[in-house]
Amino acid sequence: MTAETRTDLTEDQRDALQEIANIGMGQAGSLIGKIWGEFVNLSIPRIAHLDRQSIPAALTRLVGDHSVNAVRQAFHGSIRGEVVVVFSGGRDDELRELMGYEEADSVEEQELLLDVANILVGACLGGIAETLKAEIGFSAPSVMGLDISPALLIRPDELNSGRALFLEVRFTLEKKSLASHLVVLMPEDEFFVLGQALDTFLASI
Amino acid sequence: MTMPVAPPTELLAFTVDRIEVGVFAVDRDFRIVLWNRFMATHSKRSVADVVGRNLFECFPELQQKWLERKINSVFVLKNYAFTSWEQRPFLFRFHHNRPITGGVDAMRQNCTLLPLKNASGEVELVCFTLADFTDTAMYQGCLNDAIVELEQEKSAQQILIKKLEDAQGQLLQSEKMASVGQLAAGVAHEINNPIGFINSNLGSLKTNVEDLLAVIAAYERADTVLAGHPDLLGAIKMAKTAADLDFLQSDMQSLISESLEGVHRVKKIVENLKDFSRIDNAEWHYANLESGLESTLNIVWNELKYKTEVKKEYAGLPEIECIGSQLNQVFMNLMINAAHAIAERGVITLRTGFDESSVWVEVEDTGSGIKPEHLKRIFEPFFTTKPVGKGTGLGLSLAYGIVQRHHGALDVKSKPGEGSVFRVTLPRKRVIEDVGGGVGP
Amino acid sequence: MAVSVLVVDDSPIARKMLIRALPSDWDIEISQATNGIEALVAYRAGKVDVMFLDLTMPDMDGYQVLETLRKEDLNCLVIVVSADIQEKAQERVQNLGAIAFIRKPITAEGLAEVLKKYGIVV
Repeated sequence: MTAETRTDLTEDQRDALQEIANIGMGQAGSLIGKIWGEFVNLSIPRIAHLDRQSIPAALTRLVGDHSVNAVRQAFHGSIRGEVVVVFSGGRDDELRELMGYEEADSVEEQELLLDVANILVGACLGGIAETLKAEIGFSAPSVMGLDISPALLIRPDELNSGRALFLEVRFTLEKKSLASHLVVLMPEDEFFVLGQALDTFLASI
Repeated sequence: MTMPVAPPTELLAFTVDRIEVGVFAVDRDFRIVLWNRFMATHSKRSVADVVGRNLFECFPELQQKWLERKINSVFVLKNYAFTSWEQRPFLFRFHHNRPITGGVDAMRQNCTLLPLKNASGEVELVCFTLADFTDTAMYQGCLNDAIVELEQEKSAQQILIKKLEDAQGQLLQSEKMASVGQLAAGVAHEINNPIGFINSNLGSLKTNVEDLLAVIAAYERADTVLAGHPDLLGAIKMAKTAADLDFLQSDMQSLISESLEGVHRVKKIVENLKDFSRIDNAEWHYANLESGLESTLNIVWNELKYKTEVKKEYAGLPEIECIGSQLNQVFMNLMINAAHAIAERGVITLRTGFDESSVWVEVEDTGSGIKPEHLKRIFEPFFTTKPVGKGTGLGLSLAYGIVQRHHGALDVKSKPGEGSVFRVTLPRKRVIEDVGGGVGP
Repeated sequence: MAVSVLVVDDSPIARKMLIRALPSDWDIEISQATNGIEALVAYRAGKVDVMFLDLTMPDMDGYQVLETLRKEDLNCLVIVVSADIQEKAQERVQNLGAIAFIRKPITAEGLAEVLKKYGIVV
């Protein structure tokens, strides 16, 4: 990245966030493994500051240029933002089994995606918030798009924030075909609050 | 400013109990430990009835496996979970708040599962809140219905607009044809008169010339008598030689007969034009379709003559009741299309046949044929495979309309690369329609 | 004589957190490495008694370091420090010869307990 703007996180803060995210994802993997009885592979979280125009391209680069299903969920509290969960693989029947849907249960595929997303988001963000000693709550997740191109998920002109902090993790289950990306987006006006929380964390070590 | 005071426990308990939202909580064994008034009222199960008992035992209709996992995920992740009426209309089947005006089968519910942690941060209870979303769901339903209705109306309107466009196109085309017909008829009428007197004058001229030549022949018999007047004879001879009288005699006659033939041809074309347009007779009448084919062929001959050989296989059709001028338009369209289908050289066959109730006319070509995917669409207005400007895409649809109005059928058989056959089948007698004369197909 | 300790982690924050958590009365000499390759270079220079090893690192990860150490029959006490705390990961590193597994975020108490348990610090 070129010259950092005043609001972006400092190098130290980003290092700290990276480590906190690593820890959070590790905990998330363990918790999800407990819930689903499956070994979870979690990629090292990637963190970037992005201008809103470059968000669609970044999403496409991460998930690949094929149609996806996506769910969004907001978190709020001492830090706030939105998480986008992009499902690019995963067979329905396997997900149903994971979530305990009965065979005869003719539930919509959408609820299944919302349920899976809620668990992924809760586990990952919960881990990060705990390490940061931040209290956060979650709104109900909602479907963002079904069978659409990742580039169309987030429209830059609809974003309220000119710049966003972008934190991405890739999930796969070892024995199931579920593959998803979790993208945490935090608005520019939250950078300061997050920075403070990170500074507190840095001072404590 | 006064110091904030924590609300008394009784007040909190009262609020949780009386709030117009379902509130209940379960422990790790899914035993109900909290059950507020909303839950009791709507489930018709009192606190005494359910508290301390297993949730799934009390409510066997709940989807146990799914809900157990959901509750467990809250215990493990220490995190919220949700259900939304949009995907899962309700968790508990409760009556809704519209007993009279109803419209839905049960209360629509949004549920939130909250982790309740103890002092050491472990989740001890999972608390459910259950909000009545029936009204929202109803409004949403009305909105969706309205949207569906609007969409339907929109597509109906689009179909109507398309129909109107088609009708307008046909109208324009038939108006055009009618005015062309009128023009042709007018021109034919105007030409008819001069041609009439040219014809009769040429007839008179022919007799006059013949008479004149007879007189000259009579004079020639006096040549011997004029032997004694060599000057006079010489002058006559010179005049004869100068005028080339022998040639003059034969040439004059052929000039006149050629002119007469030409005039006859003009008369025939004029008749064909009148036949074709029949502006004088656009009504039902008995007509011979084979002579209609002939006069139409004469009109379009210029389009055909350079690249096609026209074969006729006429069966000797009986006269049928029809609007001849309209059928001629059909034949003309079929012949011109046949010619357009032929790229270099080919054959167009005009064939007729009949039985006791109907007659048919076929126009066959050895042209490029029609692709199977186009075959279904060729009678649609504005459908054309011809280059822009070469066809309006209306010819066949117009033809189809005309044949329909005769209660006949227009069929096509085609093989790409081999050619097409169009067959017009018509009843021999007019079929009277119930409701006036229909407009358009 | 001081014990030589090598802290291997790609994150400077993580290294800092670990070093802060080490017992203050432990007589040690600390060196640091940011990936597996650096760790092995340091080891071969012959000055590592105890290695604190992260698992997920660029270039050469913790698993590869453990494999190399075992293949080459190298001898030092390896304590894995990782955020990936799934049982399967713990099992795998112990099979590869790590003596202990400490989960991140690391705390002084947790670390002291492990060091005591394995008799590294009395």
